Amino acid sequence: MKKLVRVLGVLVVLGIIALLAFIFVPVQRTGPATQLAADFKPAKGQGEYVMRAGDCLACHTNEGGKPFAGGRAIQSPMGAIWTTNITPDKETGIGNWSLDDFRAALYDGVTPNGTHLYPAMPYENYRKMSEEDIVALYDYFMNEVEPVSNKVEETKLAFPFNLRFGLRAWNWLAANYEPGFKPTQGQDEQFNRGKYLVEGAGHCAACHSPRNLFMAQDGIDDTSKAFLTGGEIDGYTAPDLRGPESGPQKWTTEQTAAYLATARNAHSTATGEMMLVVRDSLQYLTKEDNMAIAAYLKKIGTGGEKAATAPAEPVVTETEKMLTEAKADMPLGPRLYLDNCGGCHLVNGKGAAEIFPELDDNSLVTAKSPKGLISVILHGAELPSTADRPMKVRMQGYDNRLSDEEVAALATFLREGWTNKAPAVSAADVKAIRDLPKH
Amino acid sequence: MRDVPGLPSRRTFLKASAASAAIAGIAAVPAKAEQKPEPVALTEYKPDCLKPSEWAFVMAAVARLIPSDGEGPGAIEARVPVFIDKQLAGDYGRAADWYMQGPHDAAASPLRGWQTPLNPLQIYQKAIPFFDEWCKTTHGKIFAELDAETQDKALTSLQKDEMKIAPELREFFTILLANTKEGYFADPMYGGNHGMEAWKYIGFPGARGSYKEWVLKHNKPYPLGPVSISGERA
Repeated sequence: MKKLVRVLGVLVVLGIIALLAFIFVPVQRTGPATQLAADFKPAKGQGEYVMRAGDCLACHTNEGGKPFAGGRAIQSPMGAIWTTNITPDKETGIGNWSLDDFRAALYDGVTPNGTHLYPAMPYENYRKMSEEDIVALYDYFMNEVEPVSNKVEETKLAFPFNLRFGLRAWNWLAANYEPGFKPTQGQDEQFNRGKYLVEGAGHCAACHSPRNLFMAQDGIDDTSKAFLTGGEIDGYTAPDLRGPESGPQKWTTEQTAAYLATARNAHSTATGEMMLVVRDSLQYLTKEDNMAIAAYLKKIGTGGEKAATAPAEPVVTETEKMLTEAKADMPLGPRLYLDNCGGCHLVNGKGAAEIFPELDDNSLVTAKSPKGLISVILHGAELPSTADRPMKVRMQGYDNRLSDEEVAALATFLREGWTNKAPAVSAADVKAIRDLPKH
Repeated sequence: MRDVPGLPSRRTFLKASAASAAIAGIAAVPAKAEQKPEPVALTEYKPDCLKPSEWAFVMAAVARLIPSDGEGPGAIEARVPVFIDKQLAGDYGRAADWYMQGPHDAAASPLRGWQTPLNPLQIYQKAIPFFDEWCKTTHGKIFAELDAETQDKALTSLQKDEMKIAPELREFFTILLANTKEGYFADPMYGGNHGMEAWKYIGFPGARGSYKEWVLKHNKPYPLGPVSISGERA
């Protein structure tokens, strides 16, 4: 008995030591993925380009605030995460950070004093970035960004998420791979350039991949089956990019590249978060890079690589027939479509290229979560102005014109109309989204 | 007004399991009722700008210009007086976006258009007492109290300007008739054309703008009833 107590005592002491070590022993920081020549200098503009590819600006700038000065609240179920000041200001920004400090934030998610960053910062993905790009980005922030003195609010999440050291264990699961980029052997340069942008700086998978049990991204590259097969963000569905029915697989490579560069193509338009990604990030990439991303996505399609199918003979669906006949006793859903939508999206649900997205066979319309569709019906949508397509095409919102029941009937019709097959939407679904606080 | 429509909040995977997200219930938009409640009866209506005597005149006059007997709804069923009251109380009544600086020569040729220094509301306010006075002298009662037949006669006299109304007021009959037609056919959001009855009567399908597939269907009646700007269906 005494012996047992002694053994237990030793175990408890060991446990406490381990816990203290877990909390207080500094994290081993990852070094450079490759050693650069001592005289390496990033090309002019490279740093800013990497910043655009990584979309740092979007999160690290507050509404109406100075670029990169942080202070934007990212709402999470555990509380608001405040983005940090990443201008080279010495007191409130990262002006005192060394290259190694900077790399550790991007690779390991730790700040110079060892504090763990919340994974709202996608270091899981940035860990793929090359040393050249890290150096270029560091150089950009230190020498080209205006220092701004802006002390941002400290993030205070609810227990237990306020214990940041716990992220150390999470990192063993999520960001525990060799840093830097590993090209796929046997694939061409374009493929690997696309892969680098998608898996690394672009952090596409942060939204477009499912999350595993630990809320880590399910797979960090295309060798994982779940990678880029669709995820959820704030209740919105981020669509699958690899299945045979997904946009990048059905569209031509040129069409996907056009979508990335201009938020619109012959079939669809970008809404919600993706609209912001195009506005702040993708439109600044070169044509070659957006083509590389599109080509890469096509090649990692899970239905096998196939050429874009030639447009089939247009089939007149039952939905189109019903809308064309416009009988006075038609059900509420299609009647609302004719009253509100048909003028632009047309009775065949095909809209018009680069202006009115197709509603037939549209991933937003048929998404698992109807939140995006309902949100667009209620509040409308707007395309960003890009260099190639400057017009901010805008759809009005219908929140004043349609009741919850009417939006539900309309959304249900859209999800079942033409060739779409998705579950119905209830008035309660609509009410929940109508009642969300305005952003 | 939302800043950017349809915009979800900032991305973060931490929100991936938003199931537990507490929703701060601020500024909930009340759901629009499926069926609009019947508006207050015209006899109970509190005008925005018309005084009781003016309101009584407008009620009586529009009822003769588009009468309720015979085919289709009358101006009263279409709530035209409400439309006129609201328009006179708004920018139109104040001539807010018209050039209203002098010089004014109210007696100039009518071919020169609006020459009076008065705005439409002022014209109603000055012309109605004048016309009522004329009705009293000529027919024994103010306009609203005359029988329908005499009212028609009086309106005809007004149209022909038999009472020699002041030049500043000479547009009165013209705008009264125009405002009545506008109130009858305008979108219901302006107070008239109640229940889109006027549109239903003439077969106008309203603010739908979705007829591409009907362009070549000649001599075929369009089957759907109208829709209003605010989404009412009929």
